Amino acid sequence: MKIYTGTGDKGKTSLFSGDRISKADAQIDAYGDLDELNSILGALAAHLATEEKRVAELQQIQSDLLQAGAWLATRPDSSATDSLREVTTDQIHFLENAIDRYEKELPQLNAFILPGGHITAAWAHLARTVCRRCERKAVSLITQSMKSQVTEPYQHLLVYLNRLSDYLFVLARHCNRIHGIADKPWKL
Amino acid sequence: MALPINLGNCKVGSNLKTKVATHSAVLLKRKWLSHKSFEIMISSPPGFQFEPGQRVGLSMGGHTRDYSIVSAPQEAELIFCIRSVAGGKLSTLLSVADMGAPVSVYGPHGYFTFRSTTRSAVFVATGTGIAPFCSMTRSGISNFTLLHGVRRQEDLYYANQFQQNAHEYVPCLTAADPLPQKAFKGKVTAYLERHLPSGAYDFYLCGRQEMIRDATLLIDERFPDSLVYTEIFY
Repeated sequence: MKIYTGTGDKGKTSLFSGDRISKADAQIDAYGDLDELNSILGALAAHLATEEKRVAELQQIQSDLLQAGAWLATRPDSSATDSLREVTTDQIHFLENAIDRYEKELPQLNAFILPGGHITAAWAHLARTVCRRCERKAVSLITQSMKSQVTEPYQHLLVYLNRLSDYLFVLARHCNRIHGIADKPWKL
Repeated sequence: MALPINLGNCKVGSNLKTKVATHSAVLLKRKWLSHKSFEIMISSPPGFQFEPGQRVGLSMGGHTRDYSIVSAPQEAELIFCIRSVAGGKLSTLLSVADMGAPVSVYGPHGYFTFRSTTRSAVFVATGTGIAPFCSMTRSGISNFTLLHGVRRQEDLYYANQFQQNAHEYVPCLTAADPLPQKAFKGKVTAYLERHLPSGAYDFYLCGRQEMIRDATLLIDERFPDSLVYTEIFY
C-alpha cells in the first residue's frame, strides 16, 4: 500500500467532511499541532520505556488525541460529525484522577519552576507547552466557526486539552521526583 | 484495499462509531462476472452490521485483504466483487475454494458512506471500485451521476444495477471498439474535464490511486467548492 496519494501536491488537503482546503487553513494548523503534541508524547513515552504504567497512560492519551484530531478535521456543520466518537467526561476524569494521584506525592509549590530537570521531565514540559498551543488554536477555531453556540462535543474537547496540559505539568514534576531531581524554582 | 484519510499521522477511520470485530462466515456461492472478476456470496455473520460503502477484511488460509461490500445491509448474505490478481494469494484461494469453506470477516471499516446534502452526488469508480456504489444503490440511494471507468464492455458487469437509481450512468471505456451506446471513450477524468457542467458537487471517488489523484486535482481546479470523499483500492 502506498502511503502517498499525490492529492495534496498542489497545496490542498481533504477534511474528514470532504472539504478540500488549503494546507495553510486554520483547521489544518489546529490538528497539525495536535499531531505534533502526539509525537512529543511518543518521544516522552520512549524515554519512559521501563515505566510500563506511565507508558500505558501516555498511549491512552495519544489515542484520545487522535479522536480529538478527527473533530478538528471535520466541519462542525457537517453530518460527518455523526460518525465521530465524542471525547467523553470519562476521558477527562482519567486525566483528573492521574493529576490527583501524582499531586499527592509531590511537594507543594511556592514559586514558578524552570521547565527541565530530568530528560523525561523536559519532554513533559515541552508537551505541556505544545498542548497549550493546541488549546489556543482549538479555542480560536471552534469559537470562530461556531459563533452561535459551542456544542457539547467541542466543549468536551476544550476541557480535555485544558486538563491535559495540567496533567503534563504534574507529570513533569513526577518525572523529576522519581529520578531524584528537585524542581528548580524561578529566582529573579 | 482502502486507505483512510490522512490527519497528519492519524487515520480517521478508527474514530468511526462502528463496532469492529472478527466474525465467522462460510462461502455460499461464486459467480464469474468477466474473465478476471468474480463475485462471491458469503453467509452474513449473526449480529454483523454495516453501512453501505463500508469494507471488511476477508481472511482465508491465513491471507487477509480488505474488500468493499457489494450487497446492501438489508440483504441476507454478504456479496463481494473480487478481481483475480496473478500471484494474489487470497483472490486465488477465493476463486477455487469449495462451497462451505470458512471465511473470517473482520470489520466493518471505513467512512466511505453516503452523506445526503443539497448538492448533486457524483460517483466515480474505476474497475472493482464500483463495489461500494453497488451497495449504496442496492440500499435505495438514488439520483446520482455515476461514471464507471473500465477497459472493456465486459467489465461493466454491474451496469443493470444502476439503471433505475442513477440520474445518469456513464460507462467510460478506454479500450472498447466499437463503443457501446451512451458510453464515453476515455478515462473518467477526461469525462469530468470535458462534460460535467461547472458547479459544486459531492464527489465520491473509488478506485486506483492514480484515478483518485488525477480526479481530486481536477476537482480542485474545475469544481472548487465541492466535497470529495475517497476510497483507494490497490
